[in-house]
Amino acid sequence: MKILVALKRVADPDNANKVKIPPSGDRIDTAGLEWKPNPFDEYALEAALRLTEDGKAPKARAGEVVVVTFGPKETEQTLRAALATGADRAIRVDVTDDKLDGALVARALKALVEREKPDVVLMGKQAVDGDSNQVGQSLAELLDWPMATFAATIQEEQGALLVGREVDGGVAVLRVRLPAVVTVDLRIVAPTSVYSLKTARTHKYNDGVRFAALPAIMASKKKPLAEVKLADLTADSGLKVQYHGFEPPPARKAGIKVKDVADLVARLKNEAKVL
Amino acid sequence: MAGLPEAFLAAIQADFPPDFLSLDAGDLATFGRDWTKVHAPSPGAIAFPRTTDEVSRLLRLCSAHAVPVVPSGGRTGLAGGAVAARGELVVSLDRMRHMGPVDMLGGTVRVQAGAVTEAVHQHCAAQGLTWPVDFASKGSSQVGGNIATNAGGVKVIRYGLTRQWVLGLQVVLANGDVLEVGGALEKNNTGLDLRQLFIGSEGTLGIITEATLKLTRLPGHLDVLLFAVADLAGVLALFREARMGGALAPGAGLEPGHGPFTVTAYEFFTERCLDRVKRHRKVRNPLSAPSDYYVLMEVENAHRDALEAWVASLFERELVTDGTLAQHSSQAAELWTLREGISESLSATGLPHKNDVALPISELSGFCAGLDDLFARRYPGWEICLFGHIGDGNLHINVMKPDDLTREQFLARTHEADHDIFALVKAHHGSISAEHGIGLLKKDFLGYTRAPAELALMRAVKRTLDPQGLLNPGKILDA
Ligand SMILES: Cc1cc2nc3c(=O)[nH]c(=O)nc-3n(C[C@H](O)[C@H](O)[C@H](O)COP(=O)(O)OP(=O)(O)OC[C@H]3O[C@@H](n4cnc5c(N)ncnc54)[C@H](O)[C@@H]3O)c2cc1C
Ligand SMILES: Cc1cc2nc3c(=O)[nH]c(=O)nc-3n(C[C@H](O)[C@H](O)[C@H](O)COP(=O)(O)OP(=O)(O)OC[C@H]3O[C@@H](n4cnc5c(N)ncnc54)[C@H](O)[C@@H]3O)c2cc1C
Repeated sequence: MKILVALKRVADPDNANKVKIPPSGDRIDTAGLEWKPNPFDEYALEAALRLTEDGKAPKARAGEVVVVTFGPKETEQTLRAALATGADRAIRVDVTDDKLDGALVARALKALVEREKPDVVLMGKQAVDGDSNQVGQSLAELLDWPMATFAATIQEEQGALLVGREVDGGVAVLRVRLPAVVTVDLRIVAPTSVYSLKTARTHKYNDGVRFAALPAIMASKKKPLAEVKLADLTADSGLKVQYHGFEPPPARKAGIKVKDVADLVARLKNEAKVL
Repeated sequence: MAGLPEAFLAAIQADFPPDFLSLDAGDLATFGRDWTKVHAPSPGAIAFPRTTDEVSRLLRLCSAHAVPVVPSGGRTGLAGGAVAARGELVVSLDRMRHMGPVDMLGGTVRVQAGAVTEAVHQHCAAQGLTWPVDFASKGSSQVGGNIATNAGGVKVIRYGLTRQWVLGLQVVLANGDVLEVGGALEKNNTGLDLRQLFIGSEGTLGIITEATLKLTRLPGHLDVLLFAVADLAGVLALFREARMGGALAPGAGLEPGHGPFTVTAYEFFTERCLDRVKRHRKVRNPLSAPSDYYVLMEVENAHRDALEAWVASLFERELVTDGTLAQHSSQAAELWTLREGISESLSATGLPHKNDVALPISELSGFCAGLDDLFARRYPGWEICLFGHIGDGNLHINVMKPDDLTREQFLARTHEADHDIFALVKAHHGSISAEHGIGLLKKDFLGYTRAPAELALMRAVKRTLDPQGLLNPGKILDA
């Protein structure tokens, strides 16, 4: 199976307090921020790796995972990390964030899918910076492919994926024929969430996203990383979304010290009104 | 009201604010002890001064009425130093947490001793500076407590102990006199450095009320690595490489100490420790196979390619068997959890008896071999969990209670085992307490590390500064 995984880097929420908004309020100043992959995209990569291996012997690959990101040269670090974690190939579409919106990313991905011809496109359900939750759906529409969003489990079948989605009060299971677009939720990295045809149903994965082993980090330097121009993927690079303004969240109010449990209960009742 | 003199209480009522003293049962239980749970708290009362003047007047009064005093900070101490078990008056610095403006030119800040360590960090971070005293209890511990214990932590290899980061102190002596030592001067060669007397004195020589702290710039980008190594010799061989900043790698062509990175932490732990963390918390081994020994290493401002080249050479030279490099901050935090979760997980999954010893790094191998031998001979079947700030020669030896012993039997035997362990520490020229101090818990064993002549000098200093023996009596030394 061949899988294309879309990876976006986002400002590290651990130093999100360093995000600055200039007085004009028309953009976010990202200078000096540390970056990390969008967590949901990391989960998509983990799911893709699980779908292209036998969980018992993960070193022997059983398929191909191609990661793609949209960004300037330094986003290659995000791709290198993905290669170190196990992806086979990487593509960087050269463009900066301010020249992108969800619709444009979906249009460019469509062209890339037509070139790469993957069986599945996997990505996070949303990026945690803009929280837009739209690229996966737009891409499926443009490709006219089956789609499953918010996947919590994926099981490979012959020519199809069985996708479990957690909905209010239960689990809805979809069978999507390949090729298809699947966006993933955080439960996808639980120990028994993803099974390729090769992995025994009794196999249990470690919880979470795998770490990159040092030898693999070294070896990843030799894996192919290609650069593609946005213009080569889509002639229409116009933006549909324009931002009107940005505002930081209100500063948190200082906490108070309560005298005793009775005082705490009284305040929860009368002031916070949560009891 | 456990024995505080009536006249003393009356004077407090007359001369201090109404909320100055607490006899509340909850306060007595809370403020009567630190992190240790060996002694039952039984203080006479708790005083909450707001100013140095109040501390001064209070100690003068205590001196007049011969009331013993226990200075109390964030009560995270691990040696029983802040325990009041014999009716003492606890003086809590909780209300003295004012922080002055950061002096950007001098790189200093003046704070009251009750300022919480982490609050100081936040206060200075806005200016790009930090007070590099950092460990898991920083959310509760106070500057005064840090100084009184000369606290260490996981970054000592980079920054040294608290001692290095204190320029000036204001101390209230047992008789109520206020002493200013040091000021805000980096250089001050004018005779004996009295400041150093109070750093690490565990509340026995005076109450620290204010401090001028030396600051440094916030660290640059930090990379965190976890290595699997075969044995303790491997841990030390890797350390030799790491402390030179990677300059010893073949082909690096660099002078020792001028490698592509600076080590900010070098910690080790054993598979037994990891196993306990895994039993207690939802963590996993990030490596594909277990290993007897692990090293967690943090480096600052690594030149990425050079760091990776160094790591590759470690594999080529078979110095490590496996490893990982955190790809971003969440992975780095996950790796740190494996190390920082150990202490808590040992307590949550069993009854550990803790020792925190220091050895010259060159003696570590011999000491650990001796320790294995000792336990195999005298305490067979006891589980020892070893971890620590190995880059500083600091070893945490945790002995876990075997299932077939009761708590009391175990504690009795650990006392015996301590004598054996400390005799071994002495033979290898080490210290029975690396970071945590002596307090009440290690008092019986002080003679294993300090010579009779040293102990006599320490007693003489104590007598000079506190002739009535009212400040933290029974801590470090018996009267
Ligand atoms: C989870 C955890 C992790 C820890 N990790 C480390 C570590 O890595 N390295 C390390 O060194 N320690 C460590 N400690 C121990 C402890 O946190 C430190 O020793 C800390 O510096 C104690 O500060 P405190 O304010 O809590 O002091 P307290 O416990 O309140 O007091 C400690 C001693 O200082 C005296 N004292 C307190 N304030 C004053 C004052 N203003 N004037 C004079 N004397 C005073 C007390 O009388 C007592 O003897 C750890 C503790 C915990 C609970
Ligand atoms: C050209 C020049 C440049 C200098 N630059 C600096 C500088 O940059 N920074 C600086 O700090 N100083 C400087 N100094 C001062 C001096 O060199 C230093 O203070 C040096 O440390 C003194 O060492 P010494 O062995 O010469 O001591 P001495 O001059 O012999 O003695 C100095 C003091 O130490 C005592 N003493 C000496 N040996 C012992 C011992 N074994 N045990 C106990 N007490 C002892 C003596 O009784 C005396 O009180 C400089 C001096 C010169 C001439």
